[in-house]
Amino acid sequence: MHLNRRTFIAGAGALAAGGARAAPPPAVNIAYFVETKPTMIAKGLGWFQDGMGAKLNWVEVGSGAEINTAIAAGSVDIGIGIGSSPTAAGLSQGIPYKLIGMLDNIGPAEEMTVRKAARIKSPADFKGKKVATPFGSTSHFRLLGFLALNHLTQADVTVLDMRPDAMVAAWQRGDIDAGYVWAPAKSKLLADGGEVYSTYKELDDAGYVIADLIVARSAFMAAYPDAVAGLLRAYGRALDMWKQKPTDAAMIVGQQAGVSPAVAEADMKEYDFVPLQTQLTDAWLGPPGKGGKFDGVLKRTADFLVEQKSIRAAGSLDTFRNGTDTNALARAAA
Amino acid sequence: MRTRLPPVIWAAASICALLAVWIGLTWNGSHGPVVQDLFLPGPGELWSGFLDLASSGYKGRPLLVHIGFSLERVLAGFGTGAVVGTVLGLAMGYAPRLDALASPFVEFLRPLPQLAYLVLLIVWFGIGEESKIILLFLAALPVSAVAARAGVRDVSAGRVQVARALGASEWQVFRHVVFPSALSEIFTGARLAIGIVYGTLIAAEIIAGSTGLGWMILDAGRFLRSDYVFVGIVIIGLLGILLDRSLVGIERRVVHWAGK
Amino acid sequence: MSLSAPADATAARTVTAVAGRARGRRESSAYALRAASAIAALLLWYGVTALGLVSADFLPGPAAVLHTFLDILHNGYRGTTLGQDSLATLGRCLGGFAGAVLTGVPLGLCMGLDRRVAAAGNYIVQFMRPLPPLSYLILLILWLGTGNASKVALLYLTAFPIVTSAAMAGVRTVPRQRIQAALSLGARPPQILAYVVLPSALPMIFTGLRIALAAAFSTVVAAELMAASDGLGWMVFSASQFLRTDVIVLGIIVLGLLGMALNWMLVALDAAVVHWRGVE
Repeated sequence: MHLNRRTFIAGAGALAAGGARAAPPPAVNIAYFVETKPTMIAKGLGWFQDGMGAKLNWVEVGSGAEINTAIAAGSVDIGIGIGSSPTAAGLSQGIPYKLIGMLDNIGPAEEMTVRKAARIKSPADFKGKKVATPFGSTSHFRLLGFLALNHLTQADVTVLDMRPDAMVAAWQRGDIDAGYVWAPAKSKLLADGGEVYSTYKELDDAGYVIADLIVARSAFMAAYPDAVAGLLRAYGRALDMWKQKPTDAAMIVGQQAGVSPAVAEADMKEYDFVPLQTQLTDAWLGPPGKGGKFDGVLKRTADFLVEQKSIRAAGSLDTFRNGTDTNALARAAA
Repeated sequence: MRTRLPPVIWAAASICALLAVWIGLTWNGSHGPVVQDLFLPGPGELWSGFLDLASSGYKGRPLLVHIGFSLERVLAGFGTGAVVGTVLGLAMGYAPRLDALASPFVEFLRPLPQLAYLVLLIVWFGIGEESKIILLFLAALPVSAVAARAGVRDVSAGRVQVARALGASEWQVFRHVVFPSALSEIFTGARLAIGIVYGTLIAAEIIAGSTGLGWMILDAGRFLRSDYVFVGIVIIGLLGILLDRSLVGIERRVVHWAGK
Repeated sequence: MSLSAPADATAARTVTAVAGRARGRRESSAYALRAASAIAALLLWYGVTALGLVSADFLPGPAAVLHTFLDILHNGYRGTTLGQDSLATLGRCLGGFAGAVLTGVPLGLCMGLDRRVAAAGNYIVQFMRPLPPLSYLILLILWLGTGNASKVALLYLTAFPIVTSAAMAGVRTVPRQRIQAALSLGARPPQILAYVVLPSALPMIFTGLRIALAAAFSTVVAAELMAASDGLGWMVFSASQFLRTDVIVLGIIVLGLLGMALNWMLVALDAAVVHWRGVE
């Protein structure tokens, strides 16, 4: 079934490519997160819609793992905000998509929030506690890294799979002691009797770098390269707005994400949003066809996931190099 | 004239055909398998996945421990729910007033999708074991009650009259006539109940768990670890069959007079 | 004489009548008691919440739930109205169920009539029956996408083994003498199927249909809890994430009533079609 869909689209794409390259897709299924990021500006103001020239079906997800399942099943064409950890897993497992751009380098923006009342001050204090995180996400990846670095197992610490919304509800009921997640859920936990338990320095130093990315189904990209470039161009505009008019940007983002502009602004300040031009350098994704340092980050991420038995085998460095396609990015940044 | 091949041959042929299709779709030929192993792992991957799970467990706990967690919950929920339900049903069969009082609740609870009130139970009791066990208790209760009630009602009037005529007390009538007669329906209800409880448990572990077979499949599924997911499904299926067959075995021992 | 008394009304009298109680006004008083019991529960609910014995967040009162009901009926919950959610849930459930009936009953009949077909397929049916449907939902989503197809397929696979097993068992209850008698009277296979086999098998088939529909209804809600963007199960789950217990309680009531209605429909159909149930 999925084979038929892919073959059909590839076939249609070939025809379309031969004929009118500029023909927009009939409809695009985009998976996204409700999060405090400039992407919400481009979504809210219709820039993505204009840039792609097509009807957009927005599918809200709670973790990158859902994006992997959806693209593998052929239900979604583009995933915005998928983390580096699920992307590494996806490329290793042969999900037919390509990494086309970065949103941000995460750093402290995803972090462990602990309940003040739980009195967690050191790694050992986590024993017997309940920590929630969306499985298959970058937060999950960081949490697993944290446990590994501190010699804790999932028999010592109860790890629960929860989407960000569910986590907030569980926190309010007093069901969980800690949560590893991103904004806006993270801010809500902090506001409700929570405090930061800082793990990101330890993890970044140990190589557990995480980033948020944009992926596109390979067949879709082959068929509609212009639409993909338009998407990235629209994102670039949103990023510029954040850099130049942060207050206005925060207002729109806050409205889209359901938080106050002040919270939105504070959340966004924690991210390192890498500009399009910088993404094309060797430090990140690299110019088209050449690859960059980020391939190595994905490889190390995949290797860790194999250690964790989360995936069976990690792709080679080439898998990630070939899995990155920055052609559309180069066009958008131009 | 029909062929004289025993049916077993047909079963074997069907199994072989299925295996052939499976192997054919997943054979790693020169162009790779017809269906990616992400979607359908082959027999080899399944077997190595099973060995993996059996030897090093899943996420910090041995496979048997996960199986044990699930089994514990099923037995706890089924045990309490079926016993209380049966007692309630027997009482309802005897006392029409009790029946009228309790029926509305039993009849409302029975068709109510269990996962819907799991959500409410979680809001009330949190995500721990309590909400799951209470859920399973409530899942088993109405089915057992209805079965026991039917069992009492279907007792033959003649036998009861004879027992009375012979001077038996109410309790003796119950113990020696009504209860044995109702047992086969009670067991039918029990088999239905354990099926419902088992299905509800796996669903509950998938939606709100941190241990157990259902949770294991969820976690593996999040990473598209299809080999583990398949192994998990097979184990879950076999465990379900085991539970059902155990009940049938117990029924045969206890209700050895069925049909007489 | 030993007489079995299968019909409910007479059955209610066997044990208790023999216990020596008068049975004159039983039926009407039974109805009155049932109604009284349900009303008492409602009053208890109202009392507990009105007196503030439990917080409104924990258990909203009947008034609040009624208010929410009217609200969602008109304005919807997070974009979909109650009607749309109900239709989505029912549509999936009945779609899968119908498919299972249309394919499962004929297959089950074949399996009951022909040992070879039974041997070839029964092991699959018997493996699928105790297999909790949610355990393979992730595979269906992977194969069929995140839309309705995977959910309808799930419900089909939930109901199919139950219906097939029931049809197969139904055929087995046909007394051999009847088939032989019909054959000796010159009946041909299609007639035997229609006039001998089917009538004997129908009671068991209908029992199977009731169980299958109940299973499908439970499963559709579970599937919506996991992976949907509309439907009653989705509504309940979404409400739990925003701690809207009023919507949760409303959802439970609607689901309970729908489940009862579906069951009654089948019971009525059963009584209408299989009017010979219990008669030998």
